[in-house]
Amino acid sequence: MDAAALDALLGSSAQEREESWRYSRNALRALAQQAFAEADPATSVSTDIRARFAWPESGGRRLVFVNGGWSAELSDTHALGDTVRLDVDAAHITLTIRGGTEHPVHLVHLGIAAGSSAQWQATCDIVVESGAATIFEHHLGAAGAEVLGALVSRHCVAADATLSVATLSDLPDSISLYRRVRAVVRKHAQYRTTHALFGGRFVRLDLDCELADTAARTDSRGVFALRGRQHTDVHLDVRHAARDTASDVLWRGVADQRARGILHGAITVAEGADGADAQLQTKNLLLSANAEIDAQPVLEIYADEVKASHGATVGQLDERALFYLRSRGVPRAIARSLLIAGFCREAYQGEDASLAARLDALLAERLPGAAA
Amino acid sequence: MTMLHIDDLHVRVAGKEILKGLSLAVNAGEVHAIMGPNGAGKSTLGNVLAGREGYEATRGSIVYNGKNLLELAPEERAAEGVFLAFQYPVEIPGVNNTYFLKAALNAQRKHRGEGELDSMQFLKLVRAKLGVLHISDELLHRAVNAGFSGGEKKRNEIFQMALLEPKLAILDETDSGLDIDALRMVADGVNAMRDPARAFVVITHYQRLLDYIVPDFVHVMVDGRIVESGDKSLALKLEEHGYAWIAERRVPDQIGAA
Repeated sequence: MDAAALDALLGSSAQEREESWRYSRNALRALAQQAFAEADPATSVSTDIRARFAWPESGGRRLVFVNGGWSAELSDTHALGDTVRLDVDAAHITLTIRGGTEHPVHLVHLGIAAGSSAQWQATCDIVVESGAATIFEHHLGAAGAEVLGALVSRHCVAADATLSVATLSDLPDSISLYRRVRAVVRKHAQYRTTHALFGGRFVRLDLDCELADTAARTDSRGVFALRGRQHTDVHLDVRHAARDTASDVLWRGVADQRARGILHGAITVAEGADGADAQLQTKNLLLSANAEIDAQPVLEIYADEVKASHGATVGQLDERALFYLRSRGVPRAIARSLLIAGFCREAYQGEDASLAARLDALLAERLPGAAA
Repeated sequence: MTMLHIDDLHVRVAGKEILKGLSLAVNAGEVHAIMGPNGAGKSTLGNVLAGREGYEATRGSIVYNGKNLLELAPEERAAEGVFLAFQYPVEIPGVNNTYFLKAALNAQRKHRGEGELDSMQFLKLVRAKLGVLHISDELLHRAVNAGFSGGEKKRNEIFQMALLEPKLAILDETDSGLDIDALRMVADGVNAMRDPARAFVVITHYQRLLDYIVPDFVHVMVDGRIVESGDKSLALKLEEHGYAWIAERRVPDQIGAA
């Protein structure tokens, strides 16, 4: 892939990426040196992959995209309801929600290469005009040839509305994903996100949230759990642009073996955004001497009356806790798993029960470090 | 039969020798109290029995039910019936108390070749134990010790002991930080478990606990060794005279000869 193609895929120039991508420069360079053909949205999807997103609880409200393209065959929208309008224009999808969603809408994005390495890009916007809407966003991929996907979204939450988006990314090591979300939250509106990021060769999440009007609020919860040579780079950027806005960011990161995680959390309180309340906390766990996590909290305040706190830690498994569990008879490997899962679980406490159960199961399956 | 036989045990922690030739024999059915001033090595004894890393036995032996205890991993010791009630129980956010205890009990049962309990059987057992200890089952739905008060943590230790039914229970200053009601509850929990097949080693700073858990033997530990042993009247004498009384009674020759 040449430089121009990469810039087009990421929607930025190398110069613009200079600072914010500095921990991912090498990972990106390695990708750029590979040849990627355009991925085919008509690529067939294995029954194994189909089984992984066929959640009974989202039957009838499932939108499936293969390599960025809408799949009429795999989607099932009969129970979407009349509050949700879906517009599909090639690789640009818009969901417009008026009156909220009674049940979550399941958006499934699949990355599948047919033979040689492939790339795709798509746009998926969500506009909530009124009511409370819940979205499950699900990223899956097939092992095998490499796929590099780029999914860009605008999330607009109108005054007094609520949008909750839970994103589950469960990728094999052949898949790389660039996920960018720009959210705008209006007066008295709420925007809640939960991310669970597992696997992938290279994953970059840019989550920018602008609290644009009075009393807008955002809550961001997230966790990544990495092993092997997986590389995940999370950039959270919350901007308080109006009075009495609130943000609460709580993330967890775990890296084992030679994995690399980056957790950048920036909060800006603009001039005049008095009464803002900004909380940011990230905790990270290193399970091997060769793993690395870079945690960067950034807080910029230009207003006068602001309540803000932020903190970031990187540490290791608590030996006292490990001994405590083992002294009760729990074998070392299971004790480690319990502790790591417990650490991650803090990031999605209070989440929708069925989703939390799915995350628990996935955590048990995908957890790094359990066998060490 | 001797359940636990500690002979001339020397233990080093962070390069410093803490236990300096400790010997102790505990038979099934007995309750032994270990008393002593701060820094005597009482907690080190508890930790080394439970198998904590960083506690290095440089000399001596610990034989438990005919096995070399020092060769066993902490989880193996637990499955063999050793239980340590921690002086400072560890808070573990995100790990559910019930889930943890079920994992612990079933791992122990598996080790002993017993069948694992399913959720129904486990909860039935839990309810039975909670009733005896007057502990609210709300405690079970919380994360392990997370946000528990000092008293709740200690009661949770005793509850775990009741559930896991160890053969040898070591209580490391379980009385510290407890008010009189909580102390009585802890003692009731221990007394309910006294059994000809079970032994207790009760480490304490104060005689007060021994009013409620009456020991068969009292040992006084000073500077890494047991310097005086007797029956429960020894605890009363200590209460009256303080630890300085023991220190005065120690003759340098005796230390060397032990």
